[in-house]
Amino acid sequence: MGSKIGKSRISNNIRKLRFYHNEMTQEQLAEKVGVTRQTINAIESAKYSPSLELAFRIAFVLDSPLEEVFIYEPKDDPI
Amino acid sequence: MSYKEKNVAVSLVTFTLILGFYLKQITHMWRGGGLTDDVFGLWATVVVMGIIATIILTIIAHIGFAIFEVIRTGDDDPKIDDSEDERDRLIDLRGTQVAYLVSSIGTLLAMLTFALGRSPYVMFSLLILSGLVAQVMGDIFRLVLYRRGF
Repeated sequence: MGSKIGKSRISNNIRKLRFYHNEMTQEQLAEKVGVTRQTINAIESAKYSPSLELAFRIAFVLDSPLEEVFIYEPKDDPI
Repeated sequence: MSYKEKNVAVSLVTFTLILGFYLKQITHMWRGGGLTDDVFGLWATVVVMGIIATIILTIIAHIGFAIFEVIRTGDDDPKIDDSEDERDRLIDLRGTQVAYLVSSIGTLLAMLTFALGRSPYVMFSLLILSGLVAQVMGDIFRLVLYRRGF
């Protein structure tokens, strides 16, 4: 399982999926989705939640469904 | 550290130095018999310093970063990514919001001193001060967001 993003209980598997895609580097992924390497690093290390569009682009490049790349965990949700 | 983050750090250093200069000058004026027309001269100096220092320090910083990249990568012509993405824009926006808030409070306080009967020089000095502090606070907030995340 990937890391938590902020307090939003969203985890991600980007690091693992990059590894499964010929050990794609953060720089390569960043170039393909049109952001800086620092932004990919921030997303992976739970310091930034990407926009919906960027999330879709990352999922597309990693050839995985969005819910496999980003996972929402509503365990403490008051709903 | 990204290109944009480095620019924010350069801006923070520049405006902190200018703020220090301004506080030193205004304190000197205050102790020398109160604020006079010289405040307007100081305002002009601060604006000119802000423009020139930003340009010079940005150039020096970029040269420094380029040299660092050459040493780090061993490449004579290193690729420097100066692109801006959604995270940079969002951080810049939040920094600007903080700067506006600080600037608004400063302006209100400046108006209040005038309304309470203080000299317009005091109000003008506080307006300049709030502008400089707002810029510094905005840059600090941007760096915090870059480092800590959000």
